[in-house]
Amino acid sequence: MTASSRYRIAVAGAGLLGRLLAWQLLRDGHAVTLYDAGDLDTPPAAAWAAAGMVAPLAETVVGERCVYAMGRVALERWPQWLTELAAPQLWHQQGSLVVAHPQDENELTQFRRDLDDAIGEPGGYRALDAAGVQALEPGLTGFRQGLFLAAEAHLDNRELLGRLLAAIRELGGECHAHAPVEARPGEIETDAGRRAFDLVLDCRGHGARPRHPTLRGVRGETLHVHTDEVALSRPVRLMHPRYQLYVVPKPGGRFVIGATSIESEDRSPISLQSSLELASALTTLSPAFAEARILEQGVNLRPAFRDNLPHVTREDGLIGANGLFRHGYLLAPAVVDHVLAEIRGEGQRPFAAVLSAAAPQESLS
Amino acid sequence: MNTLNDAHDDALVLYGEAFTSRFLLGTALYPSPMVMQEAIAAAGCDMLTLGLRRQNPAGGDGEAFWQILRESGCRLLPNTAGCRSAREAITLAEMSRELFDTPWIKLEVIGDDYNLQPDPFGLLEAARELIDQGFKVLPYCTDDLVLCQRLREAGCQALMPWGAPIGTGRGLMNRYALGTLRERLDVPLIIDAGLGAPSQAAEAMEMGFDGVLLNTAVARARRPAQMAAAFARAIEAGREAFRAGLMERRQTASPSTPTLGQPFWHTGQQ
Repeated sequence: MTASSRYRIAVAGAGLLGRLLAWQLLRDGHAVTLYDAGDLDTPPAAAWAAAGMVAPLAETVVGERCVYAMGRVALERWPQWLTELAAPQLWHQQGSLVVAHPQDENELTQFRRDLDDAIGEPGGYRALDAAGVQALEPGLTGFRQGLFLAAEAHLDNRELLGRLLAAIRELGGECHAHAPVEARPGEIETDAGRRAFDLVLDCRGHGARPRHPTLRGVRGETLHVHTDEVALSRPVRLMHPRYQLYVVPKPGGRFVIGATSIESEDRSPISLQSSLELASALTTLSPAFAEARILEQGVNLRPAFRDNLPHVTREDGLIGANGLFRHGYLLAPAVVDHVLAEIRGEGQRPFAAVLSAAAPQESLS
Repeated sequence: MNTLNDAHDDALVLYGEAFTSRFLLGTALYPSPMVMQEAIAAAGCDMLTLGLRRQNPAGGDGEAFWQILRESGCRLLPNTAGCRSAREAITLAEMSRELFDTPWIKLEVIGDDYNLQPDPFGLLEAARELIDQGFKVLPYCTDDLVLCQRLREAGCQALMPWGAPIGTGRGLMNRYALGTLRERLDVPLIIDAGLGAPSQAAEAMEMGFDGVLLNTAVARARRPAQMAAAFARAIEAGREAFRAGLMERRQTASPSTPTLGQPFWHTGQQ
């Protein structure tokens, strides 16, 4: 394809990747049709349930080095995209804070060591004492130590998903909700029949499992609460020997606390055990959370390949992007850059070594 | 049961079945399934434990992950981690027997939420019931001699005493109690939980323990496969040392090179 061509492109899956790609391709002048199996205003996507953290340092501790490199792209791309979407206020680059209770301070030491080792150079964070934690987040109580990761950010993800959908519609994108599809090379099949396209993008996440024998869903549970008694300016990550949970502030006194990570494709409601863990972690950050109101209990499946890294597959007339696991907002910009470079026919596709590589064992299964 | 022959004269025998590796590995906490698969390969283990409690096992929703474990070719040892009563553990064991078509169960009944210490009373109750039902029970227990004797009497043909509380990496906290278990019990004993370093695993094997079960120390290492390989060698070294027979410690120094006939000027004066 060349940059000047105008193509008919179908995007299957209106989660984060699907919306970003649809929006960018419309801006490139293509005719885009977006399909989703669920609702578009409250989508059943992992991106809706997520907390919207963009934390390349903290996430690399539990992931691969390339997560850090791709995550740095996100720190550049998001403010730029949000400005283009006329919604720069959804981006918050206030850093993130990692804390542990006094009895679990070893966890903080381990985290710091893993961070140095994962990033390959010390730095990128500042160690805080009790006064330092208080100065940053007066809402927290009882922490003697913390780490401040100044470069990290978070965004108001639900508002962003709404803004993307509005932009897609404004640019003339055709949107189909409640329309489960089969994605094939150059063809989309729905209940209504088959429709030919020049290119099909499969961004269905866990919904694309039939096409990917090694793709699996990893259950994540979250609590959404509301309180006006506590204010946080940035995501706070609580290190605990058994649970590693985070709280992310959202507009209007809302907080998202997450997330469990269970190797199961169970979509049933949150378990009492998980609910207790999430809620007790929250109350130990500040007792004032005790009177917060539970607005929502989220459950979703994070799509993951066996290396828990994203991969892009390509055949004539069909590109699939999947496997963002727990790193949707962190890795989507790099994956979008990669797919757009492919469609625009640019020679250099960013992060090709990771993203263009086949998912491990995918061909053997 | 495999026939023991010269090549396998040091097999670990549990419930009449021989295993070539004395390294059992848990399957939680890895950064990704691929990293876990590499660790399994590096460990060279024959048995993997897996937790089911939180996966909604009755719905079969953990199938994608279980498939990865099956591909390892290792025997799967479902556990009852997260169960706090004998009844809960028994129900989960029954479910896991159906799901995995196996009578093997690593039995855990947790008595304390903070240090995840086994509940000896619930454990014994559940072990009795499951043995009656024909399960091959591997109970995760404390290092209490009388509890271990009762589990043995209940029909457990192998026991899994802790080295230290789960995930603490503290090693063999009570060598005296563990030494007593080794002297007094005639069944395979596998140190389960609390090991953090290969040296600790080697020490357990040198003491005559029959195997080691690890999870956190491998999964939470920065390079899990490399750590699994390190543990595998330590476990083999410890076993070799035990079979070779360790010397007794002595109070008096005894030179390994005979000093008779050495000239005086070698005794320290310059």
